[in-house]
Amino acid sequence: MTKITVNGREIDADPKKPLIAACHEHGVEVPMYCYHPGLRPVGSCRICQVEVKQGDTPARVVAACRTPIAEGMVVNTESPKAHDVRRECLEFLLKNHPLDCPICDKAGECDLQDYSFAEGQTKGRTHEPRRKLEKRKSLGDVIVLDEERCILCSRCVRFFEDVTKQPQLTVSDLGSRSVIATFMDKPLKGNYQGNIADICPVGALTLKRFRFQARVWNLNKHLSTCAECSRGCSVTAEVLRGGETKRFRPRFNPKVNQWWMCDTGRFAFEHVNAADRLVATRRGAEGLAACDLDEALDGAAKSLRGKSNVALVLSPFATNEEAAAAKALASTLGAKTCFVSPTPNALKDDFLHTGDPCPNRRGLTDLGFAGLAADDAAKAIGGASVVVFVGERVLELFGAERLAALANARVVVFDTHAANAPAVDVCIGVPVHVEKNGHWTNVDGHLGRLTIARSAPRGVRALEENLTRLGQLVSPTGAKA
Amino acid sequence: MKPFEKYLLNRTTLPNSHTLAVYQANGGYKALEKVLKKPMTPAEIIAEMKASNLRGRGGAGFPCGMKWSFMPDPAKDPRPRYLAVNADESEPGTCKDRVLMEKDPHGLIEGCLIAAYAMKLQAVYIYVRGEYRKSYDTLLAAIAEARKAGLVGKRVMGTDFSCEVWMHKGAGAYICGEETGLMESLEGKRGHPRPKPPFPAGFGLWGQPTTVNNVETIFNVPFIVERGGAWLASIGTQNSKGNFLCGISGHVNKPGVYELPFGVTAREIVDEVAGGIWKGRKCKAWFPGGSSCALLRGEDLDVVLDHDSLRAKGSSLGTAAMIVMDDTTSIARVMEIIARFYDHESCGQCSQCREGTQWLAQIFHRIATGHGKPDDVATLESLAKGMAPAKTICALADAAAIPTLSAVRIFKSELEECIRQAKDPLAPPRIEYAGAH
Ligand SMILES: Cc1cc2nc3c(=O)[nH]c(=O)nc-3n(C[C@H](O)[C@H](O)[C@H](O)COP(=O)(O)O)c2cc1C
Ligand code: SF4
Ligand code: SF4
Ligand code: FES
Repeated sequence: MTKITVNGREIDADPKKPLIAACHEHGVEVPMYCYHPGLRPVGSCRICQVEVKQGDTPARVVAACRTPIAEGMVVNTESPKAHDVRRECLEFLLKNHPLDCPICDKAGECDLQDYSFAEGQTKGRTHEPRRKLEKRKSLGDVIVLDEERCILCSRCVRFFEDVTKQPQLTVSDLGSRSVIATFMDKPLKGNYQGNIADICPVGALTLKRFRFQARVWNLNKHLSTCAECSRGCSVTAEVLRGGETKRFRPRFNPKVNQWWMCDTGRFAFEHVNAADRLVATRRGAEGLAACDLDEALDGAAKSLRGKSNVALVLSPFATNEEAAAAKALASTLGAKTCFVSPTPNALKDDFLHTGDPCPNRRGLTDLGFAGLAADDAAKAIGGASVVVFVGERVLELFGAERLAALANARVVVFDTHAANAPAVDVCIGVPVHVEKNGHWTNVDGHLGRLTIARSAPRGVRALEENLTRLGQLVSPTGAKA
Repeated sequence: MKPFEKYLLNRTTLPNSHTLAVYQANGGYKALEKVLKKPMTPAEIIAEMKASNLRGRGGAGFPCGMKWSFMPDPAKDPRPRYLAVNADESEPGTCKDRVLMEKDPHGLIEGCLIAAYAMKLQAVYIYVRGEYRKSYDTLLAAIAEARKAGLVGKRVMGTDFSCEVWMHKGAGAYICGEETGLMESLEGKRGHPRPKPPFPAGFGLWGQPTTVNNVETIFNVPFIVERGGAWLASIGTQNSKGNFLCGISGHVNKPGVYELPFGVTAREIVDEVAGGIWKGRKCKAWFPGGSSCALLRGEDLDVVLDHDSLRAKGSSLGTAAMIVMDDTTSIARVMEIIARFYDHESCGQCSQCREGTQWLAQIFHRIATGHGKPDDVATLESLAKGMAPAKTICALADAAAIPTLSAVRIFKSELEECIRQAKDPLAPPRIEYAGAH
């Protein structure tokens, strides 16, 4: 660590990173467009200018993202000269900018908008018409490019060069005629395209799936973890008023995913936004019918009380907390356990996606649950008198046909959706992963956190709570039933 | 003008001056022989270069010997190292390197070999601008001839010194003459200049130690080695040494490339060398060294053409390519053409340069075509100040801002008159070019 002074405060700076990183890590704001901590710095947008004094030479205004740390350097990010240079730079950046913020998806989280508001001038000086370029150029299935909004920071170009190491974008043509393009207008490929919409500092790159879907200031953002593979990328779940999850976006986690995530995870809304959520149903004279939670738990207890040869099948999406509760219940019931382990998919790559669709394989295994493919799970529980299915999507992964084949068993279900098979006695709703607090353990042993981004449907309670209550109902003393 | 000895262009007038035979018959490769056979040590050569005080002829005027001494010691830093010769010559008005390459290619090759020996490197790249087909072909043939004669390649002149000279053709972009843009282009990438630091001597071509020199700079090297640094230092003015090539163009009777010693005045060049202003007119304005330096007035012609004197006048020597304009010239039109050039040639990385060069071009275009607005001159000045000095990755933004500032300073009333009359009173007949705004 190297000692430098920033705005009168002495700080320890990492000499391996440029000056701008030291400023940001110590809470000093320096605007940036081309710089991104995850990409090779190019120093081209010139907005990050700050005043630096080194030794006896007069203070100079330099680009902070290309200035190496030097012992004893004195930095003033707020000097009038630095402000002037940044203000001039901003005016140039806005010279051809279409200023269509009212219809731009980035508005509200746009670095150009924010910094213009903070520092820019209110009057334009140009008499020329603004540059007319392609407003909606498709770059493939994921991304749309608005060439007019692009400020040519080249972050998107460098993302494919530096991060996925498969260059796909370039700046084509020169000077004020420059535009971002792919070779021969070929569509972008790969499972990481969405990241360039995140890092685009303006609204030039937007996600086809998010365009015109929401104003970003209406989104509530919560810590979460991606459910699509055992990498468990840290994400924010962004939820519109009313509860619809509109976006997953990567959240910086140096140990897991840095700033990135794959498109599979980014667009995995289908399950979290599914309609017709289960609260509770119970088998009565007319078959399965809605009931309240207490009745459902009573019914479940009745199915289980005094039964030997019980099996508990857990969902691979169960959190460590839910799994611990399931383990306690299983011990009360004397049940044998496993979790359904879907087979690896073809999405595995050498970047983030592990190809293993169980986000908590490691956590469940550590708690003593064996992961079994659906067929093996069905075999393992063959002959059980009661089977308890526990957790989000467990039935979907176990398979309706296998459930139907459980001829001689009674079935109790905790899942997001009801199942209607002759063996089923009770179904009790559970929260999906954006509706609960808890943890998953990723493939490398890092804990991924889930927080409540929106409330579960009315009447649905935390799974741990219901499992514990069921245990108490079956065996009030906690002894093995 | 005092009589002086020429040395740069002497061979260029000989028939078949581009051939090895003519070159050797006129003292060619003697300096290289002296270096390799005497032998001189690399340190001795660099000492001579420093003693000569030769300054780079590519525009910035950086002392050449000092630049060479920045190359790290190969004993401590064994990475491969390169010399890149900048033959991209695209500065408006500049056409001096071309004469050397077409007429005396072996002089350049000999300079390259000596420079390579002095900097302990084995590979030289000559980056020629794409339009210079003849320069390229002539150099290529000369290198082949030299290789056959054992002067280029393995074991030069039978000694332990080996050196390859490679040619590379640019695609006609001004920005590839900027030294870091040149290196990117040589690497096969877009000619986007790199921010400095790191400097080429530490991180150059392919990330290795590299020196970039202009053709004329390198061309001086054999003469310095043969005659000694003190000899060159005896020619010229205090901080500008030797003879230089002055490419003079514009409204003079005899435009061309002339060899002159530092110390002559611009008026001597115009009147005695270039035959005076054409059609008996007067000089209204002139660029001392390409369009990237500040415009000077006709009255300023008495200035001595060297680094210090021009700096004192608020301009610079640049590439010593004088562009002379007579008193019928429209400054609005001149600046329109120049601004369009920088807009066309900006690489587009830096916000100020990409947008600023376009903006300047648009404003000058409006003024020159009678659509100026009252605030235009003030805007031009403040835009140019927003682009420079040293606010961008490379000096192209400065190169656009500097002439603009000088035009606004010196010819403000003329520009304002164009705006007031809603037409340019001096407008020449218009020729529209593709890409004009
Ligand atoms: C935009 C721009 C264009 C340039 N073009 C040329 C050129 O065409 N030829 C050249 O020799 N130097 C050119 N230069 C200067 C080079 O960057 C560099 O300073 C020079 O080649 C160094 O050689 P010297 O030290 O021998 O002068 C240019 C500089 C800039 C900023
Ligand atoms: S599209 Fe966005 S990320 Fe890419 S260069 Fe333009 S502004 Fe930067
Ligand atoms: S100053 Fe202009 S030409 Fe130079 S790097 Fe920046 S944009 Fe490119
Ligand atoms: S953020 Fe530093 S130049 Fe762009």
